Amino acid sequence: MDSSESPTETKKTKSKTPRKNKETVLKQKSPAEFFAENKNIAGFDNPGKSLYTTVRELVENSLDSAESISELPVVEITIEEINKSKFNSMIGLIDCERVDAELYDDYETEKAREKRLAKEARAQEIQAKNAALGKKVKETPASKGIRGRGEASFYRVICKDNGKGMPHDDIPNMFGRVLSGTKYGLKQTRGKFGLGAKMALIWSKMSTGLPIEISSSMRNQSYISFCRLDIDIHKNIPHVHVNEKRENKERWHGAEIQVVIEGNWTTYRSKILHYMRQMAVITPYAQFLFKFVSDAPEKNVTIRFSRRTDVMPPVPLETKHHPSSVDLLLIKRLIAETSKQNLLQFLQHEFVNISKSHAERLIGEMGPDFSPKMALKSLTPQQLVRIHQLFRQAKFDDPNGHCLSPAGEYNLRLGIIKELHPDMVATYSGSAQVFEGHPFIVEAGVSIGGKNVKQGLNIFRFANRIPLLFEQGADVVTRTALKRINWSSYKINQLQDKIGIFVSIVSTKIPFKGTGKEYIGDDITEIASAVKYSIQQCCIQLKSKIVKKMQAREQQERKRNLSKYIPDATGAVYNVLKDMAETQLHASKKFRYGDDDGELLRKVYENLITKETLSEKLAKHVEQVDYEMALEYATQSGVSEEPREAIYIQPLETENKIIDLHSPFFVFRMFY
Amino acid sequence: MAESSKKRRRTNTDDLPFKNKLKPDSTILQTLKDFSTSSSSSSSSSKTLTLQDLSLPFSCREVSDLSLSSVQSNIESLVLRIAHSILSGNGFAFDVPSRAATNQFYVPELDRIVLKDKSSLRPFANISTVRKSAITARILQLVHQLCIKGIHVTKRDLFYTDVKLFQDQIQSDTVLDDVSCMLGCTRSSLNVVAAEKGVVVGRLIFSDNGDMIDCTKMGMGGKAIPPNIDRVGDMQSDALFILLVEKDAAYMRLAEDRFYNRFPCIIVTAKGQPDVATRLFLKKMKMELNLPVLALVDSDPYGLKILSVYGCGSKNMSYDSANLTTPDIKWLGVRPSDLDKYKIPEQCRLPMTEQDIKTGKDMLEEDFVKKNPGWVEELTLMVKTKQKAEIQALSTFGFQYLSEVYLPLKLQQKDWL
Repeated sequence: MDSSESPTETKKTKSKTPRKNKETVLKQKSPAEFFAENKNIAGFDNPGKSLYTTVRELVENSLDSAESISELPVVEITIEEINKSKFNSMIGLIDCERVDAELYDDYETEKAREKRLAKEARAQEIQAKNAALGKKVKETPASKGIRGRGEASFYRVICKDNGKGMPHDDIPNMFGRVLSGTKYGLKQTRGKFGLGAKMALIWSKMSTGLPIEISSSMRNQSYISFCRLDIDIHKNIPHVHVNEKRENKERWHGAEIQVVIEGNWTTYRSKILHYMRQMAVITPYAQFLFKFVSDAPEKNVTIRFSRRTDVMPPVPLETKHHPSSVDLLLIKRLIAETSKQNLLQFLQHEFVNISKSHAERLIGEMGPDFSPKMALKSLTPQQLVRIHQLFRQAKFDDPNGHCLSPAGEYNLRLGIIKELHPDMVATYSGSAQVFEGHPFIVEAGVSIGGKNVKQGLNIFRFANRIPLLFEQGADVVTRTALKRINWSSYKINQLQDKIGIFVSIVSTKIPFKGTGKEYIGDDITEIASAVKYSIQQCCIQLKSKIVKKMQAREQQERKRNLSKYIPDATGAVYNVLKDMAETQLHASKKFRYGDDDGELLRKVYENLITKETLSEKLAKHVEQVDYEMALEYATQSGVSEEPREAIYIQPLETENKIIDLHSPFFVFRMFY
Repeated sequence: MAESSKKRRRTNTDDLPFKNKLKPDSTILQTLKDFSTSSSSSSSSSKTLTLQDLSLPFSCREVSDLSLSSVQSNIESLVLRIAHSILSGNGFAFDVPSRAATNQFYVPELDRIVLKDKSSLRPFANISTVRKSAITARILQLVHQLCIKGIHVTKRDLFYTDVKLFQDQIQSDTVLDDVSCMLGCTRSSLNVVAAEKGVVVGRLIFSDNGDMIDCTKMGMGGKAIPPNIDRVGDMQSDALFILLVEKDAAYMRLAEDRFYNRFPCIIVTAKGQPDVATRLFLKKMKMELNLPVLALVDSDPYGLKILSVYGCGSKNMSYDSANLTTPDIKWLGVRPSDLDKYKIPEQCRLPMTEQDIKTGKDMLEEDFVKKNPGWVEELTLMVKTKQKAEIQALSTFGFQYLSEVYLPLKLQQKDWL
């Protein structure tokens, strides 16, 4: 089921060619075909991962869409499990009972059955024995039926948002043509290649053959576009079944996409939920509703990640290229696309950080056959190479980070608090830095404690505000947190404390490693040091809080810790006194001690002063000191109280009927 | 005795490197005798300085041997003071001399580390000192008992009297040093001793608790150095020098080969870092017998460190440095320059670790190294070549190379610093 038709075909042809030296046929492949064959590049390695990636791509598209019109995103994701007979009826196939049982892979031979039954009986026996001995028995997993290859599970994934929507006539091309998109250009975006939704469609075509359904409406549009289509993989063109306009009663805008694919909920359940949770962390201004629906009600999941703020990061701006980041091909493309006529204008307007005078100096440096006024069209390929060379060698100012849209310290902090409820949290937002001509910003948050956080380091990685879940081990953030941060110097116990580490990197180009866009390599020193610095800054903030907390704890436990040693100390002192008193009695003639001391020893001898007397006095003293210290602590800590966090209460969507209740300190506004 | 060693030599006619350079033993003996008399006359002529002779810009804390009864009365008056303080409702505190590195000072005139007089208060009603002050009170009580009964116990014994409070021996040991410092007496005056560690063999006769001991007749292992030095007396010797050995293995080789019979000497080892008893014993030998002390240590920073502990004392025990240090110890070997001089093959040399190099560099800054230009040179060479070698590296030319060739040749050439 996993392997699609086409790869096996290619394999066959490959193996055949050397044998029968047939004349080789020159074939051409459409982009859709290429991605169908290499779907792992886009994260469709297996059914489980495909389900995950489908959810992910749809959610990210929804967020991008809502943010592009500055609308607070509301995204609803539903995964509906479809059992086999339901699926068959959907595609119009009649259920077939197995007639020849031996034909199937999961057929159990007589011998195998005997073996299995014997094994089960043995297991039961052991269990019974254990139970009789009163041992706690581990719940033995119900013997899973051997899942045959044909036993695929299917899911309908529905994603609904309140975004921009799509123009009615563009919908077929937006979904039915691989590598066509609106997100090309130098800009910080979640998606990049115009692959996501199309890959979901290709996968659905490969695994179920069912088309994708799209409903969309743009703002102030009186109708809803409804479109059902699939893709012609060989031609890379959409194949439209239905494309009609429907009534838009609720004046809804946004998009709703439905796709039926093969997947695996059991193994990727936690990944998908983690993804949703982390997405909620990094986008606290969005509201997510995640639902998993199946026939078995106990498996159903409904999670609402509610909005925590209405402050949205600004929409990332499209920026011009930095001269040190372009290659020869890109220069040619820019020349072809530009409206500028001559070289000077081209340099000045198509790149960042080149002023007019700077451009003139650069042209002078290029050589005698270059001039500021020369027409762009007249540049020879050799001259283009010269420009490229100079771009590589010359020094340019670093691009600034204005074109980037980081989540923002505020949002990151809110997100962490909202989803993890940590005891402590610190965040830091670095300034823009540069790697190979692309600006990047690193933001970090470190939290201690919280719910659903395991002991030790919990790492949350974000790139361009997308959570990264796979290939954590080699990632720059993981490596930095594990190897380069000395946690103990910040009074954090790396193994015992529940540490959450959140690092978000945004850039016009994230230097992903590997094909899956799942991790950032550890070999880029600029990024590695920025990550380290950001985490350290968080830790420094935390340290003072932790120290304060430890002081507070010490405060509470001081009296107990001091009192613990009273018997030891007084016992030692009393024993010496007693020995002295006794020796003094025996050698009473020699009176070695002064009046006070003699009196004291006499009292000890006569049991007027006992160990208990000493203990009582010392305990009183401890109490006194404890009281003084507590008072001192209270006066000190009273001054430096932590700043309060603003709370956010979601406004209800009602008419603006309000009553303001005024008090000297606040105004209470009631909606009704 | 000289004859027997000659016989031994004749039987071993190996062609050991540099053996041909050796002159007859009688010549070497003569050089040694000259050296011994000259060094004893020079040291006897110069009176040993004490702290009081110097007018230092700060006051120092030194302890002295106290009798049991005075230790007892010191403890008693301290305890009485504490009892009064508790009864008057003020809790109590110990005034403990600080033994931190900042409170140590190397005095070049004395060639040893001394303790300055800074001290810190150890109040009971403070979370950071409550434990230590409770332990201090307990140790005081235990020592008081020892004084009354007049017996000796080991540090281990002391620890086991209240394991629950002390938790581990390091804590009771540290406080014990604090207590002796606080009472102004040596640790041995507290009647607490460490287990025997050092051994001595060779031309030495002394009395241990009244029994006469002849260290030439103690078998191969030698005589264990008694933990309490006050038992030791009546030292007699016809040795020409004292040989201080870092390692047990080298000591065993020399003892078995009866090196002290060929060249009359006393061989001492503390098997690594020296304990108090060995240091006291060496000091006593040096003072009573007036012999030069030659040291045989590894060619690494720790060998020199051990030498320094014998020579000018450890920081931990600096309050008693007057009794524990033996001045004027000569560095005989194995020195970094010997590695090439004696053509020790590469496979017997070890590369120094980062930590070794750091220790070496740190030691170059220490006063006790700086005062001896020869040592500075050797240590600089070690840090530069980044190579170290143990005494055992000499075994590459045969197990007896150390006693047959290396040491005699070193002595013949008076090759010490």
